[in-house]
Amino acid sequence: MKAQRLLLSVLLGTLPSTSALLSVARAEAPDPTEAEYYKITTFPTPPGTALEVSSVEFLPDGRVAMGTRRGEVWIASNAQNATNTGVWNPKEMKFEADPAAEAKNSVTYQRFAEGQHEILGLATKDGWLYATNRYEVLRMKDETGAGKATRFETVCDKWGVSGDYHEYSFGSRFDKNGDLWVLACLTGSFSSKTPFRGWALRVKPDGTMVPTCSGVRSPGGVGFDADGEVYYTDNQGPWHGACTLQHLIPGSFQGHPGGNQWYDLAPNMGPRPVEPNDVSRMVIERERVKELVPPAVYMVYGPGKIGNSSTAVVCDLSGGKFGPFAKQLFIPDQSHSNISRVYLETVNGVKQGVVFPFLKGLRSGPIGARMGSDGKFFVGGSDRGWGAKGGQPFAFERVDWTGKVPFEVHEMRAKPDGFELTFTEPVDPVTAGNPASYSAREFTYIYQAKYGSPEVDDVWPKIEKAEVAKDGKSVRLKFDVLTKGHIHELHLDGVRSAKGGAVVHPVAYYTLNEIPGK
Amino acid sequence: MTLLRPLLFSGLLATAASLLGVPSPLQAQEPVEITLKTLTAQMKFELNEIIVSPGAKVKLTFENPDDMPHNIVFCQPGTDVVQLVMKMLEKPEEAMKNNFLPEDPKVWLKSRLLNPHEKQVIEFTAPSKPGNYPYVCSFPGHAATMQGVLRVLGEGPKLQDLKFALYHGDWKNLPDFSTLTPHRTGDVPGNLVQLNFDDYKNQYGLVFTGKLNVPANAEYTFYCASDDGCRITIGDERVLNNDGIHPASLKESKKKLKKGEYPVRIEYFQAAGGAELYVGWKSDAFDTTALSSWTPPNWKKGVEQKTNEFVGLPLEPKDGPIIYRNFIAGTGNRGIGVGFPGGLNFAWSAETMNFSMAWKGAFIDAARHWKNRGGGHQPPAGFDVVRPSDMTPPFAVLDAPETAWPSFVADQPLEGYAWKGYQLDAKGVPTFNYTWKGVEVEDRLESKGDFKSGGTLIRTLTLKGQIPAKAFLLLSQKSKLTPAGKGFAVQGEKLNLAGTNYPNQLLIQAEGATVAGDALLVPARKQIQITYAWPESHPANHAPLAQ
Repeated sequence: MKAQRLLLSVLLGTLPSTSALLSVARAEAPDPTEAEYYKITTFPTPPGTALEVSSVEFLPDGRVAMGTRRGEVWIASNAQNATNTGVWNPKEMKFEADPAAEAKNSVTYQRFAEGQHEILGLATKDGWLYATNRYEVLRMKDETGAGKATRFETVCDKWGVSGDYHEYSFGSRFDKNGDLWVLACLTGSFSSKTPFRGWALRVKPDGTMVPTCSGVRSPGGVGFDADGEVYYTDNQGPWHGACTLQHLIPGSFQGHPGGNQWYDLAPNMGPRPVEPNDVSRMVIERERVKELVPPAVYMVYGPGKIGNSSTAVVCDLSGGKFGPFAKQLFIPDQSHSNISRVYLETVNGVKQGVVFPFLKGLRSGPIGARMGSDGKFFVGGSDRGWGAKGGQPFAFERVDWTGKVPFEVHEMRAKPDGFELTFTEPVDPVTAGNPASYSAREFTYIYQAKYGSPEVDDVWPKIEKAEVAKDGKSVRLKFDVLTKGHIHELHLDGVRSAKGGAVVHPVAYYTLNEIPGK
Repeated sequence: MTLLRPLLFSGLLATAASLLGVPSPLQAQEPVEITLKTLTAQMKFELNEIIVSPGAKVKLTFENPDDMPHNIVFCQPGTDVVQLVMKMLEKPEEAMKNNFLPEDPKVWLKSRLLNPHEKQVIEFTAPSKPGNYPYVCSFPGHAATMQGVLRVLGEGPKLQDLKFALYHGDWKNLPDFSTLTPHRTGDVPGNLVQLNFDDYKNQYGLVFTGKLNVPANAEYTFYCASDDGCRITIGDERVLNNDGIHPASLKESKKKLKKGEYPVRIEYFQAAGGAELYVGWKSDAFDTTALSSWTPPNWKKGVEQKTNEFVGLPLEPKDGPIIYRNFIAGTGNRGIGVGFPGGLNFAWSAETMNFSMAWKGAFIDAARHWKNRGGGHQPPAGFDVVRPSDMTPPFAVLDAPETAWPSFVADQPLEGYAWKGYQLDAKGVPTFNYTWKGVEVEDRLESKGDFKSGGTLIRTLTLKGQIPAKAFLLLSQKSKLTPAGKGFAVQGEKLNLAGTNYPNQLLIQAEGATVAGDALLVPARKQIQITYAWPESHPANHAPLAQ
């Protein structure tokens, strides 16, 4: 081969649009099977900015407010109904509208605020838009009616920031008690240079700050389940073998001891927990460190699995308008440009559950997301700093259920001797009742100060029995062995629906923190 | 941004032609074309390093898209360009008459003083002596940041006594040639590594042996690109190993070598398909020098032009002020930058609740924070940054005006203060709000005029509530204060932001301002108005301090 041609890629390094050129090749297209059930609409973005959506909230009138990494707030009108999609223009670095698009089918944008320091959380209350930036919760309001915020009031600025890029702060919406949660990322992967880095904090309506959970590493989002319980996602790194979905119980330690010196400033939290032992297992350290709450779900790391960078926590409260997964959680992944689905249950007082792949093919790295009661799921993001499979530097998208029910595992529940699976459609009793249609593996991660972990301690259980319920909508699997603390990876390649279809996503990863009693 | 790559063939061709004793048709050299621009309102050249070969003919297009006049002055190696400009300004009238172009033996080339949006094409012959020739804009106040280096770099030594041994074989990796018998051997014409000794296209190997004269104890970078495998050994050390079947891509390796003559061995094999071999080296003292007849298109990769970093997302206030809350060099971790359309800018700190610094020209470049993960402190994009005090709280109760001002410790709560946010007026100008000891304070700064014609910043503090006795507002600190008109000329503390020194000279005027040692204070009252201005246009006032 001629060297000249091969060296072209090196020369392209001098062009500003290299990443755009290269990313076209690595972008992952929407999956045609998934697209039958869930449709992704990628919107044009407003000119003159990079719409790096890092938080999404609905205004009382239904318009979509978006906070961005560039510190702007954009308000999108007609986003629920718009059908016109954007065409990526790599030269201009934006999603351009089809010039022939009709206004009634298009999103229109208005810039409500700018100049903030990375908005990773938005919430609304009493006519104010609350935003979380790197070091404060503020609220903003348009007092003149011109469509632009004129008043920016500080609500709480009591945690630190030092200039390190890692020190992001993710803000929640208001919880059931009227508090906002702030997840303050550590200073780097390992330590906390300034107060309450590596903590979950609550901001009360009067602006006071309550240090609430220690042990946070690098959050990607925070949200609530259908009962209003609070969860956040954390990312693979020290003390995190993989990305996780974690239950924020006030007073708990979430696993990374790097910020634990701030117990000195948090008398409400009681004494500092004992240090977890390095190169151990979560299930072992839970016994030693009484404040340690194990991850509710491991978002199993790696290509072809769940993801590499979990972000927002979105609960489906649409009552069926987003399909058959009411009350379940949807977790986007910035690196894989996908969304996964989580079903949680409480066993022996501990949250645990299962994650399934759900939808691939978002165009950038999703960070901010929100689903309306109408089932319209808005998601936006940016690939800046880490890269994303989607290939574009930023995007604002909507995911809609097409109305067609996918054949999927609906819920997966732990049982004393195995699992119970429910399905979105009746199963074929022959395949679903045959243990050979399933395969399983149990593994865990090393709980260690070193970055990440391989999958370790493999157990290969035998599925002894698969009993199909009379209504054909559930299957009871009997395992010869369950392992407390392990992730139970279940494949359902042989299972067919009563109509003969395969499971759209025939894999489930159940984090078995607790085995239910008989 | 354009990455300039002046072509370096001129020197090579001249050498080759003179060796051969025949005039090369190319010897009527095409000049090397270089475009050098000034950056708008940033007091910088677009390039701060240009590389040319000795004696090269250069056609320099000097463009000034900025709104201010600029020139470019090239000096002899070792010239302190800031000193040069200061010396010129010792006679300001004469300097002005000469359009601020220094008459100095250290200067060997200069442009005209270009007005805004002008350009000039300058043709010159590069110095024949290799070295670093600094260049600078000698217009008053510009030298501290508007400078760069013209590097004149010659070629390094070539291989000597180069011999080849040609082998036949079908390999996937380099064989142990010492166990094989060569098909034929001989001297290499021109002492340049090359492949076409016979008409063989595939399945052959070559071993080159020769000598290389290392001119000094230094670090050297060796390059190769080969299709297929190659390996380079200097003395006893293997400096590059690019074995296997692959297309040619540039590899490099750095080695520290002592001065002296070294035996060199270059092994190569070709399986099938394309066949190429490039070998080269460079050091700080000479430009990338090919040791082979073939060179890949990017063979000068080792000599990158150094351009000003992070230039790329300048925020330009057009219709109204722009607010930029971020990590700002000189203003800490909770900085709020405010840029006005007239090119006057300031930064305020939500850590100290205080005005921090002001500057002229371009507002700020957001690329550091918006093109990467968002860390690091970004300095102002413009020039003439003034910062009358350290990061300090604005108000304090002092027993006597001379009492030391309370200091601010990053990440420690600022006792007695609470940050409340800001609001924007109809023009988009922010008013910052905080409380201090139960007093509600509003702090507002607005620009008056523009940076080209003596613009100022007007700051108004409004206090509501019971003001404590003996309360003062700090206007400047650690400064040399000289009464000037109704206010004070302030020579602030030495100011260096991100490697750039600023004169830090400003005028502060506020009713009731009093000097207390090296501080300027004003007693706290319901309303305090402060005017910040830069010294008037006398060139001496623009001269930067010594670095």
